[in-house]
Amino acid sequence: MRLLVIEDEAGIARFLKEGLEEECFAVDVASDGKTGLALALTNEYDLIMVDWMIPAISGIEVCRQVRKSGSEVPILFLTARDAVEDVVFGLDSGADDYIKKPFEFEELLARIRVQLRSSKQEEGAIGVGALTISTVTHQVFCGSVEIMLTPKEFALLEYLVRNKERACSRSRIIEHVWDMNFYSDTAVIDVYINFLRKKLEQAGCRNVIHTIRGVGYIVREPQIDQK
Amino acid sequence: MTSRQSSSTGLRLAPSGLRLPPISLRTRIAFYYTFMTALLMAAVFAAILFSIDKIVYLHFDEELRHEVEEALEEARMNERILNGLDGFRDLGRTVAEYRELEEIANQRDVHAQFIQLVDSEGRVLSKSFNLAGNSLSFNAASSGVRYFDSTVGGVMVRQVQVPLVSQMGDVQAYLIIGIPTRSTMRVLQDLRNILLWSLPAIILLLFILARALAGSSIRPVGEVIATAESMTQANLHQRIPLPEKHDELYRLSVTINALLSRLEDAFAREKHFTSDAAHELKTPIAVVKGTLDVLVRKPRPVAQYEEKIHYCLDELNRMARLIDQLFMLARYEQKSVKPQIVPIEFSTVLEPVISRLEHLAGDKQLSFVRQNIEQSMVSADPAMLEMILENILSNAIKFSPAGSSIDIEVTRSPGQVICTITDHGIGIPEEHVQYVFDRFYRVDESRSSGTGGFGLGLSIVRRLADLQNIAVSLSSREHAGTAFRLVFQAI
Repeated sequence: MRLLVIEDEAGIARFLKEGLEEECFAVDVASDGKTGLALALTNEYDLIMVDWMIPAISGIEVCRQVRKSGSEVPILFLTARDAVEDVVFGLDSGADDYIKKPFEFEELLARIRVQLRSSKQEEGAIGVGALTISTVTHQVFCGSVEIMLTPKEFALLEYLVRNKERACSRSRIIEHVWDMNFYSDTAVIDVYINFLRKKLEQAGCRNVIHTIRGVGYIVREPQIDQK
Repeated sequence: MTSRQSSSTGLRLAPSGLRLPPISLRTRIAFYYTFMTALLMAAVFAAILFSIDKIVYLHFDEELRHEVEEALEEARMNERILNGLDGFRDLGRTVAEYRELEEIANQRDVHAQFIQLVDSEGRVLSKSFNLAGNSLSFNAASSGVRYFDSTVGGVMVRQVQVPLVSQMGDVQAYLIIGIPTRSTMRVLQDLRNILLWSLPAIILLLFILARALAGSSIRPVGEVIATAESMTQANLHQRIPLPEKHDELYRLSVTINALLSRLEDAFAREKHFTSDAAHELKTPIAVVKGTLDVLVRKPRPVAQYEEKIHYCLDELNRMARLIDQLFMLARYEQKSVKPQIVPIEFSTVLEPVISRLEHLAGDKQLSFVRQNIEQSMVSADPAMLEMILENILSNAIKFSPAGSSIDIEVTRSPGQVICTITDHGIGIPEEHVQYVFDRFYRVDESRSSGTGGFGLGLSIVRRLADLQNIAVSLSSREHAGTAFRLVFQAI
């Protein structure tokens, strides 16, 4: 999952990036509204976090412009102000949620998970067939067997499972799993997919990730073998 | 009026006992107006009554004089003039004559008259028939001609008594003539009654009218009150609608509106300040908290812990500096702060500040250039002046490019000492110059620009300068530099 953090306060931007990357997110950081808006409009993010008081273009304006472009990306705003009208104004400008500074990092993660889950029934876990992924603890199980994954492998698997039954092109995978500092060719995806398949098969989950020739990969519910 | 007002105010403010309901302005205006008018009207009425009374008596007395002349004439015509009293005995008209006269009097409502002759002792010598058994009263006290009121058989009369003097000069008899005054007096009484009863009625009517009139003329005041009452902090942007006529109420409304504008500004500034202060204080907390939150989520190498702890300490130090500055600002903005102003040689304050900042400037290869330092005595609080200079100079260091100079000049002109501190740094864009002394104002909006300031230094400078009557101003050109000027009153 790829996030954009628009925050001018270097200290906050720094721990957000470090902390979120440890949680297997790809994180881009912009230190002012103008750069942030440009990034938001060019890249495909799974969530945007924007501070309210930023130079060049205000957080509210960034929010409005993103919505005006037709994007429905979840937007979470950070604010140091706690006046009710600020919060109301922010939510009315198109933001989905807010968090007041200073905040608990755990709470921020929970709020991000809320925005990323596709349905209210999800309850912190996604899965396909025997495979379950806990988005809270970042554990992956095949049945009752835990599979140990690296952060990148986890991010890749999480993205594919979230988009199960949908073909994910290599470029989309790059967009959502790697941050903007990653420019190498898409072949690296094939390497990670290989690792993933091996680890899944060892645990007993076969035929989860399928290759679509010339396009990318897809995660499908396993066909029940009648024979 | 003043004493009345103050006494009623006093009653209203009385903490205990009887509390009078406050009297409205319109009622007071009506009351004063009516009170004055009533006094005037009472005076006018009294004057009218008095003069009519006088006139009526004048007429009576004239008539009496006329009657006297007529009677005396008649007596003379009878050629018994003053020789003896006999002639007077018949002075009264004949019975027939009087009957006739009375009839005429009854018919035409003409006054009949009574005539009576008394000797010098007051014994009746002769009297007209219409007196019948009564007689006119005689006043023995005076020997001259006398007019007076009395009654005859219950009838009010106006009398004259004329002494009849013999040739030897002694009073031989008195001729007394009386005319009834009843009808005239009744008219006079009626008039008096009418005036007396109409006065309160007129006053009451006047009061009601005056109250209504006063009410309508101060109605705009009511509107002003209504608008002012509806004002809260939330709708301070409201203004009192201005009346069309440019009268006192217009001026009142304009004055109140101006006051509201100032209040709104002050509120907005205060709100802005609070929100800025909250933001500035919360940010380092958020940074420290967030950094440590992330740090403790997983075990890490010692170097990483050390790095993060140092980073957090820096943030906390920055925060402590901010709190110091906020306290300083809060302290100096209190009215009770009294600067200890003494005459002092300017350079004795300037030099220690420069030497203290020398190492900071050295880090950026900056040099302080003393261009023209004249010996100048100024009156200032040394500690405060030091703080001003330190703030301005460290500001200059902050915004100067490495290797440039900061020029300091102190000159004297008649009555003034001017200190100019010029840097050759990034300068301040024109549109920002007027705000740089505002609290939390930073030209470079991004707080992470690395200059590390909070935008409070120059606010403190201005406040300190104000306290010591030092005029502080600046001129700046973008990308060329900024010059601060401190103007002292010379001593």
